[in-house]
Amino acid sequence: MKKSWRSKWNWASVRLAAGLLALGAFSAGGQQLEGPLRLNGREVLKAFEPVRVVLQESSAVFYEGWKNINYGVVVSSDGYILAKASEVQPVEELTVRVNREHFEEVRVVATDFDWDVALLKVAAEGLEPVTWGETDGELHGTWVVTNGASSRMRRRARVGVVSANTREIRGGVVLGVVLKTDGEKLVVEKVSERSGAAEAGIKEGDLIVKAEGKELKSRQDLMDLLDDKAPRERILITLDRDGETLEVEVELKTRSKVFKELSRNQAMSGRTSDRRTYFPRVIQTDLMLSPRTTGGPLLDLHGRCLGMIIARSDRAETYAIPAEELQEVFRRLLNRGEREEGEAGEARAEGSDSAEG
Amino acid sequence: MGFLLRDAGCAARGGESSSMGSTRCIRALHVGSRSPAAWFKACLASCGGGGCVAGLLMGLAVAGGPSGSPAAVEGGGTGPPRRLYVNDKRAPESIRDLLKIEEALKEAFQRVRKAAVGIDLGEGAGSGVIVSEDGLVLTAAHVSGGVDKEVTVILEDGSRVEARSLGLASDTDCAMLQIEGEGPFPHVELDREDTARLGDWVFSLGHSGGFDGERGVAVRLGRLVRVAEETIQSDCKLIGGDSGGPLFDMNGRLIGIHSRVGRSNEENMHVPIRVFLRHWEDLRAGEFLGEGPFAKRPGEGGAFLGVATADREEGGVEITDIVEGSAASEADLKVGDVILKVGGEGVEDREAFSELIGGKKPGEVIKLVVLRDEEELEIEVELGER
Repeated sequence: MKKSWRSKWNWASVRLAAGLLALGAFSAGGQQLEGPLRLNGREVLKAFEPVRVVLQESSAVFYEGWKNINYGVVVSSDGYILAKASEVQPVEELTVRVNREHFEEVRVVATDFDWDVALLKVAAEGLEPVTWGETDGELHGTWVVTNGASSRMRRRARVGVVSANTREIRGGVVLGVVLKTDGEKLVVEKVSERSGAAEAGIKEGDLIVKAEGKELKSRQDLMDLLDDKAPRERILITLDRDGETLEVEVELKTRSKVFKELSRNQAMSGRTSDRRTYFPRVIQTDLMLSPRTTGGPLLDLHGRCLGMIIARSDRAETYAIPAEELQEVFRRLLNRGEREEGEAGEARAEGSDSAEG
Repeated sequence: MGFLLRDAGCAARGGESSSMGSTRCIRALHVGSRSPAAWFKACLASCGGGGCVAGLLMGLAVAGGPSGSPAAVEGGGTGPPRRLYVNDKRAPESIRDLLKIEEALKEAFQRVRKAAVGIDLGEGAGSGVIVSEDGLVLTAAHVSGGVDKEVTVILEDGSRVEARSLGLASDTDCAMLQIEGEGPFPHVELDREDTARLGDWVFSLGHSGGFDGERGVAVRLGRLVRVAEETIQSDCKLIGGDSGGPLFDMNGRLIGIHSRVGRSNEENMHVPIRVFLRHWEDLRAGEFLGEGPFAKRPGEGGAFLGVATADREEGGVEITDIVEGSAASEADLKVGDVILKVGGEGVEDREAFSELIGGKKPGEVIKLVVLRDEEELEIEVELGER
C-alpha cells in the first residue's frame, strides 16, 4: 500500500497528470470563484458586449452540413471572406453564415499556402466588413476577443490577451525517418509512410550522408538544417545505399502530418490545429480555443480587427496573423483571383471561338 | 522542457560561504518585520555585530531600489499600493472597466518583465523571478530539484548567468536560487501583506517550453479562482516550462510561483508568496524541507532498467541493447522494442527516458507501454539497481 502511494507521487506521474493528483490534496477546502465570474465566464463576457456585436456582424461561420467547423473574417461588403485554408479546404459542402444570413454557395477565389489563408466569396451585399486596427505598437497585455463556440443565430466571444512578441514561427518540418546513429553515421531505421522520405524512395538501412551538400555527423546537424525550412520545401539528400551513393530530393512535411506521437507539451494541450507551425509572422495570444474556433477575427476592446486567428498551437498559445500582413494577403489573393478569372474567361472565349469556327 | 522537472540527483548540500552572514541580514530585514527598529533587531539576532549595519543599508537599498515603485519603500509607512477598483467588483461591467484592467496590466508588465528569468537545468528548463537587487531568485522546488546545485539563469536579453540553488520546500514546491554574478539585477516586490483575494485579477509570466529570445517572456491574464492556505489557483494558462515563473497582482507585486497545471486548463496552481515568506530563512540557508513530492532528498532514485536506447524522430526510444540479468531482460523486453511510456508518462527522447527511470527507486514496479511489431503492449517491470 505504502509503495503504491509513493509511486503515485513519483516525479513522472506528478509531472503530467500532476494537477489531477495534486488537486484533491492541495486545494481541498479552499474558496472557489464561481464559473460565471471567471475570465471567460458569462458575467465577465457581458462587459465585452459591444465587441461581441462586431463579431456578430463581421465574422463568418463555416458549416459542413449542420456542423460548425471554423470561422472567417468578413473583409468586404460584397462578400469576400478570409478563412484558414487548411480547415475549410478539405470540406466539400461548405456553407457560410454571416450574422443571421446563410450562404449555400461559396467560391474559393485563391489560397496562400505560407499564411494558410483562403479567400472565399459569397454573393452578398451590405455586409459589415471589419475595421482594421494597427499592430505595430507594444501589444503585450492588450485584450483580444474572438469567436468562441457559437449558435446559429448568435456569435459568442472568447477573450484573452496578447502574450508575447509578434514574430515568425519556424520549424516543425521533418523528412519522416527514424534514425539510428552508428558512430558518426546516420542510419535510416524506419521510413514513415506518409512522409516525403517515403515518396523520395529512402529505404531502411540507407545512410544519410549529406543534406544540401553539407555533411551530417549527428541528428542535431540535420535538425539544425531543418529548423530553417518550410513545409513543401524540397531538400537534396545524399544517401549511401550498400556503398553506392544516391541523391534524392525530399519534400518536407509538417511533423504533425507525418507522425502521430506528440511532444510532452503537445500531449498536455488537447486538440491543436494540424497546421500550427511555419507562419511568416504571428501575434501570440493566450486565447483558449479549439482547432474549430480558429479563422475568426482578432478584435481589440474598440472592436478593431488586429488580425485573424490562424492556429491553436498548444494549451497556452493561440496565434493570429497581424492585420497589416493579412490585408496584404487579401489584396494579393484578390488580384490573383481576378487574374485567374480573366485567364479562365479568355480561355472560355477562345474555346467558343474555335467551336464556332 | 517538462512541467515538473525532476532532481538531477545532486548529492551535495551545505556550502555556506562566509559572506552568508550579511546576506542573511538582508533576509532578516526583508522578512522579519516592517519597522526599521525591528529590522535591526532581527539583524542582530541573526548575525550580530558590525557587519549588520552594512546589511541594513543593503537591505534598504534592495527594498527601496532602482525600480522606483512606491511599493519599494516598505516599512516606511506607505503601505501597499492601491488596489485596482475592478478587483472589488464581482465582474467588470463595461468597456471602461476592461480598459482599466488592460492599462494596469500593460503598465505592470513593463515594470516586471525583466525580472522573469528562464532557468536552464541542462536536462530541462523552467522559469523563475528575481526578487532582490543582488540576484535572489524564487522558483519551484521541482525546478531547482535540489540544494546547492549549479544552474543557469537566463535574463530577458538572453544573457546567461551562473546561479546556485539554495533551499527548497519539497512539500509545497518552493525554492530559492542565488545568482552568482554581479548585480544589480532587475527585481520585483513581494505582496508581503498578503493582499491577494479570491477573484482578483492577476497575470502570469513564464518562459514556456524554455527560454526563447524571439518570443520573449509570455504574459497571460486571469483571475484567482481558488484560494487555499498552501495553493492558489488562477485561470492564467500555463504549460511546461512556465514552472517556477511568477504570478502578479495588477500592481505588479509578486503573489505566487507557478507550480503545476490543473485538471482544467483554467485552474492552474501556484504557491502563494506567504508560503515562501514562512520558510524564508530556511530557504535562504539552503535547507531541504519536507518529504516531497516536489523534490527528492539526495540518495533517492537511481533505479536501473538495463537498456541502451536510441532516439526516434517521432518520439519514444528504441531499445538497441539489453543488459543480461537486468530488470529489462527479466521482463522480456527485446532489442527493437520502442518504449513509448514509462508509468503513464510519454517518453519524448532518451534524456526524458533516463530522467524518468532515474527518478524511480530500485524495487519499484512500473508499467511500460512498448511498441513491438507495430503493436502496443503494456509491460510491468520491477526496477533493479545499477
